[in-house]
Amino acid sequence: MAARLLYCAAAVSALAVLAILAFLVYFSLPLFQGDQLAALFSWHWRPLQNEFGILPMIAASLALAVSSMLVAYPLALGVCCFAHGLGPDWAARPLLVAVRLMSSVPTVVYGLVAAFSLVPLIRGASSGSGLCWLAALLTLAVLALPTIVLLLDNQFQRLESEIRLTAAALGLTRVQEMLQLTLPLSSRGLVMAAILGFGRALGDTLVPLMLAGNAPQPPLSLLDPMRTLTAHIALVVATDSQSAAYNSLFACGLILFLLTVLVNLGLRRIRTGATAHG
Amino acid sequence: MADRQEKLSVAFAWLSALLVPALLAMVTGFLLRRGLPSLQVALWFGDTPPLAALLHGAPVFDGIWPACLGTLYLVALVALMAVPLGVASGIFLAEYAGGRTKLAFSFCIELLAGIPSILMGLFGFALILFLRRSFAPEANTCLLLSAFCLTLLVLPYLISSTRLAIESLPDALRLTGASLGLSHWQLIRRILLPASAPGIFSGVILAIGRAAEDTAVILMTGVVANAGTPGSLTAKYEALPFHIYYLAAEYQSPAELAQAFATALVLLALTGLLLLAARRLQAGLEIK
Amino acid sequence: MKRFITHGTRCLTLALICSALLAGAAAAGELDAFAGKKGKIDIAGGTAHIPVMKDAAKRIMQANPEIRISVAAGGSGVGVQKVGEGLVDIGNTGRPLSDDEVAKYGLKSFAFALDGVAVAVSPKNSVANLTAEQVQQIFAGKISNWKGVGGRDAAIHLYTRDEASGTREVFWEKLLKKGAIVETANVVASNGAMKSAVADDSDAIGYVSIGHLDETIKAPTLDGVAPTQENARSGKYPIVRKLYMNTKGTPQGLCAAFINYIMGPEGIRMTAAAGYLPLH
Repeated sequence: MAARLLYCAAAVSALAVLAILAFLVYFSLPLFQGDQLAALFSWHWRPLQNEFGILPMIAASLALAVSSMLVAYPLALGVCCFAHGLGPDWAARPLLVAVRLMSSVPTVVYGLVAAFSLVPLIRGASSGSGLCWLAALLTLAVLALPTIVLLLDNQFQRLESEIRLTAAALGLTRVQEMLQLTLPLSSRGLVMAAILGFGRALGDTLVPLMLAGNAPQPPLSLLDPMRTLTAHIALVVATDSQSAAYNSLFACGLILFLLTVLVNLGLRRIRTGATAHG
Repeated sequence: MADRQEKLSVAFAWLSALLVPALLAMVTGFLLRRGLPSLQVALWFGDTPPLAALLHGAPVFDGIWPACLGTLYLVALVALMAVPLGVASGIFLAEYAGGRTKLAFSFCIELLAGIPSILMGLFGFALILFLRRSFAPEANTCLLLSAFCLTLLVLPYLISSTRLAIESLPDALRLTGASLGLSHWQLIRRILLPASAPGIFSGVILAIGRAAEDTAVILMTGVVANAGTPGSLTAKYEALPFHIYYLAAEYQSPAELAQAFATALVLLALTGLLLLAARRLQAGLEIK
Repeated sequence: MKRFITHGTRCLTLALICSALLAGAAAAGELDAFAGKKGKIDIAGGTAHIPVMKDAAKRIMQANPEIRISVAAGGSGVGVQKVGEGLVDIGNTGRPLSDDEVAKYGLKSFAFALDGVAVAVSPKNSVANLTAEQVQQIFAGKISNWKGVGGRDAAIHLYTRDEASGTREVFWEKLLKKGAIVETANVVASNGAMKSAVADDSDAIGYVSIGHLDETIKAPTLDGVAPTQENARSGKYPIVRKLYMNTKGTPQGLCAAFINYIMGPEGIRMTAAAGYLPLH
């Protein structure tokens, strides 16, 4: 009896994801009639001229996620190495506490602070309005940093307990142990953390919505405004429910969902590879 | 060569490590400087007498009390829905599921964990459109819908923390149970669940923190800028994170902007406290 | 100087509060329409309307806490869609409904105020006069430096509204003559957001409802005509529109009482206080 109830709970939880997919597909069905689909894959979003291209948003989402990872990932790796051997031992614990605190800061708070500190700074230093790719990129990097650090920390902790003795036997210093054993041995974990961080950056809505300026154009310069898929959904959810603009909402949702699936498949592949080998 | 590389790595690690406290200090310092002066009674209750608002439910305008209540109700509803479901699913995955069921279920739940929150909001929005077109023409975006969508958002956290807490219990506990002649369910009820309670609770608290801070989901499912204290489950409501987002873009005066910063401080304190509570529980667990 | 201004605004606020109190006493009768009633009104849409709606909601809910009124933003497009789908009781628009919209949803419109849409720049900007043609060229991206219209040598930062905006539609139709708005323009989601964006950015240009003009932003004259409510009323300033409340079918009960209240003497005072010209 208890087992059956628990099974139902788990089934409901697992089915939730399918329900989300089903709704997205159901509401994107109108897209597959006529030439609507082709209209989506254009570089121009001008609803008043009946152009509903979402390519700029797709490009912006990918560009923002990749670029913010390029900033956040090396830093996160640095923080983690610091806490596992490259820094003094006494500093490791307080540093990780600080990282946890960072992870508890609400997204909207990061957005607010950046909008009134980082954005005026960029505006002063450039000819643009300050609401741009760069502002969103840096803020998103700060937002994603703790997630990646905590993941990597988890990996390193597990690995260290395994290799501590070997390292000691080889007479390696803590720094050498980190650089020559832990890092190379945790390559899979490193890739997984990168992919998860990418997924996190891709899915964030508030940061691009508040900081990236939301102009629907391809991301060509760090100082230009851009509009991501997530911000596009938040902005367009508003318009008329029979129009093509509204359809594009669910198309964006579907694309985001598929990207999430890809991220997860990638993770799964790496993980099952890991268990098969070791 | 190797030595130089080592030195460079150490230098870079120091640099990144110093960045973390620096960023934290910058964010909190900035918020304190801009928000602290307006952290007064008027921030909460506007021009309504606080006691009248607290005791008699007098409507509050230009204060964040309705948003505080909105967030509180939201979080309570999410906990009510998500905790039983999440913990039960976690137990199932840890103790009952095996083989393909376990693989399939855990894949779905991992996927759910990866879904951007705006999609949960879009799902809720689509759900309402669907309900209105089919069998509930009166359905509308509201507090309950937001809570439902937030439940989907935090469910994976709850499931995986419960599962982890149970799976990491020492085997000796199971043996004890078996030697006492307990059934599987009795073993879970009497031994495994109590032993893993701190881990589960800390998962619950983190999930609550996530529900309290999310803006993208509620943005699409019923939060509004002005609604007063939430009247019913099917009413529109205000919430702290949305209030910050709204004021950041729409402030009409420097005072309103200062209110946004003060509200951010309140929300930050809330999520910070939740985190500390969760950490304490975990620490208690580790000492045991 | 600064102190003088804050002192001035304080006096003004005080005066406003006093007049509001007096008005409140005088208008107690009008709120009687809500006495003993219970229920909720959900309002969404046009962002120019928000100050009036908020003010009305506050008065009604303070007089009768059993009534709950929620006010959401979104823009005129949202107003039409939400009221049409029955998601809210009143959908506000800053533009007349199209025939399609009326036919599709069976909407009824109630215009309560006249409003203008003004070009807005930062008070720090030295440009005080723009011609309609200059504005068109700026928004089309053909003039991209303030030097081109007699200002300092700095790039122009364009701000526009999203497609749901009625303000955008009126501005685009009547001032830009349906000309292009360059895609690099920053997009903001409401009149309030436009105002704070332009106020913070000394090289910005955008457009807001005249009701949202205050000392934090500057409205250059358009072809020599200042965008004021007087000029809008007399027809000298051409970029005008009406503000509408829309309901699905004939409004009933609370909703009807609310619309009557906005159209009544008290509502007229609130509309005027928010910077709009009442129509009645």
